[in-house]
Amino acid sequence: MVYHPRQNWTPAGRRRLYTRRDFLQRAAVLGIAVPVLPSLLAACGDRGGSEGGELVVGTPSNPVEQPLFDDNTAIESGLEAEEGPLQLYNWADYINPDLIPVAEEALGVGIEIATFFNEEEAISRLASGEVAYDVWFPTSQRVAVAVAAGLIQPINHDYLPNLANVWPQLADPYYDQGSRYTVPYVTYTTGVAWRNDMADSADIEGQENPWDVFWNPKYAGQLGLYDSFTDTIAMALFRNGVADPSQASEADLEAAGDALVELIDLVDVRYTIDGAYVGIPEGRFALHHAWSGDLVNSQYYWPEDGDYTVTRYLWPASAEGSSVNGPISNDTLAIPVNAQRPVLAHKFLDFMLDENNALENFGWVGYQPPQINLTPAYLIENEWVADFLEPALVTPEDFERDTAWVQGPLDAETEALWSDQWTRANSGG
Amino acid sequence: MPTNLQSAEYDTVGQKRWVWPGFAIPGVVWLSLLFLVPFYAIFAIAMGRIDPLLSRPVPEWNPFYWDPTVFADVLASLFGGQLGVVALRTVGYVFVACALCVLIGYPVAYFVSRKAGRWRWIWLLLILAPFWINYLMRMMSWVNLLSPDGQVNQVLAAFGATNLPDWLAGHHFVVILGLVYGYIPFFILPLFAALDRIDDATLEAARDLGANNAQTFWRVTWPLSRNGVLGGLVIVMLPMFGDYYTPNLLSGSPRTRMIGNTIDQFINQTTSQGAVGAALTIVLMFFVAGLMVYYLASINRATEEARR
Repeated sequence: MVYHPRQNWTPAGRRRLYTRRDFLQRAAVLGIAVPVLPSLLAACGDRGGSEGGELVVGTPSNPVEQPLFDDNTAIESGLEAEEGPLQLYNWADYINPDLIPVAEEALGVGIEIATFFNEEEAISRLASGEVAYDVWFPTSQRVAVAVAAGLIQPINHDYLPNLANVWPQLADPYYDQGSRYTVPYVTYTTGVAWRNDMADSADIEGQENPWDVFWNPKYAGQLGLYDSFTDTIAMALFRNGVADPSQASEADLEAAGDALVELIDLVDVRYTIDGAYVGIPEGRFALHHAWSGDLVNSQYYWPEDGDYTVTRYLWPASAEGSSVNGPISNDTLAIPVNAQRPVLAHKFLDFMLDENNALENFGWVGYQPPQINLTPAYLIENEWVADFLEPALVTPEDFERDTAWVQGPLDAETEALWSDQWTRANSGG
Repeated sequence: MPTNLQSAEYDTVGQKRWVWPGFAIPGVVWLSLLFLVPFYAIFAIAMGRIDPLLSRPVPEWNPFYWDPTVFADVLASLFGGQLGVVALRTVGYVFVACALCVLIGYPVAYFVSRKAGRWRWIWLLLILAPFWINYLMRMMSWVNLLSPDGQVNQVLAAFGATNLPDWLAGHHFVVILGLVYGYIPFFILPLFAALDRIDDATLEAARDLGANNAQTFWRVTWPLSRNGVLGGLVIVMLPMFGDYYTPNLLSGSPRTRMIGNTIDQFINQTTSQGAVGAALTIVLMFFVAGLMVYYLASINRATEEARR
């Protein structure tokens, strides 16, 4: 069934902050509902819950415009900036701390950063309406959900002259044509990272299926995958030759789960979240599943007597001779619908889209901003990235490759199937 | 004139009858706010629904609408399914870790409480000092010690060892050692208190009656400290069952996964499956509560025996 986006849809805490139901739910959480339990039960008579708006999910081959709503409009042009402090809602360590004072000076207000542990937590808190941040950093795959759930507001491009600095592919991105709600923050691919002193580059480079190196018993005890179910299940699907993990059948998923279970005995696989940027420099891993930005970052984690130049990265979607696909993605900047300082927020977005600021941020975060002038050649020439790590740099054309795959949101039913395989993969025998 | 002492309104020491129970009110309020209500919330999530748009669990506060399917699935998986493997492994780890706690912790507590003389408080301080540092930090330092070119392997290499082991490659004993190291002071402390309470006169009496050292220990000291051991075990067992940092940091291999990792996965990764995590949490809580009841019953029995 397809709902009109706003039909039956009252996100908790958005339009009406205190419906009776909301109040009682909150009261129950606070524990003051014990004496009013009967009325609480009565209030739960409405079984509907939150019916979803329609998700509008785009892919590079099928770009979409996110819908606009009468009751969720962008701010007018030419407004005065509000008083600070500006409140950012970001992942931990995902903005250069040295850039904050620069931004404070440019905007003339203080900046405060609140962090979230994962995106689900961020969405939960924003949807609850209990928090009001001015700028949020969602991944591109959540943009459709954030729009349909009314979590973010449209942006007014009059405040964003620097949007012109952005790659056309992401200034007008497939997930949000016309950048109605978001501007891009950083981009990354997911591939294979290795040390060429511990692993043989020929096992990865020039291979028809570079993902298959994780199934190479030669590297038993020396390889790791991300402890992240979407990344790792998708990787196993690619390795098995599935072109689009979003369309994977139950049998595909079962086979991917089997392949991951096989890794336990075959190569003593380990699941980590820091293996790519800490484990490789420390020599804990010869090769690891890697986000390109993690690998760029890894240079700062090498011991003093270590030789950073052994680091290598390959994105199977662009590698020569490879016939398998690989993920590419980007994160975005958005303004929550209940932001208290939307004008300041726009100014901050524009600040981050400035070329110098984006470069400064890249130098610390390691994830690459999609700036037209910050080409791989420029970044290498100016020693922001070592030349042997060029494969870890993203180009705008990468988004147009047939072999590039972008992750979309998983609905709960599909996620349950992925989750089952993930539980199998990491339970051990 | 009748004295107040006999009236129904006053108790034997002349206080109004509600005064003493009244002191329990803050505790009751505390427990209901911070235990019962959250516990109910976990039930509400385990038996609740999924928000179709945001793909996250929605608690169902009304028990009439509770949906036990997830709960049943979790139980099925625990008994004979995928989760059963993890649960069994967890129980095994905790069991071995507890045995090691007793083997290592008992002599330490015994020495400090009975043999260290006037230096005992210094000893106790020295044992506890490292544990003022956050648990996570201590596990991180183990990662440094045990990494392939870490200090442990450097020492081994200095002694001429070749073919150095990769301690962090997913070994059961490394995770178990991590658990023991992480929690053992919480075992030593209550045991120290129990051993410290033993009256020297009882030991002297045993000697006077002809018991040798071993007999004195097994027939007097051990029985008198048994509840200290049990108490210490309960205290270390509870957090061990919920631990997930230790296997994450010291191994990361699916082979060493504990039930805490699985709960963490359902709550922090596959968030739409939050209900599974909640159901698993409830099962774990009941299991641990069972152990707790055994402990309380055994304490109770000991008190009864002491009274006789």
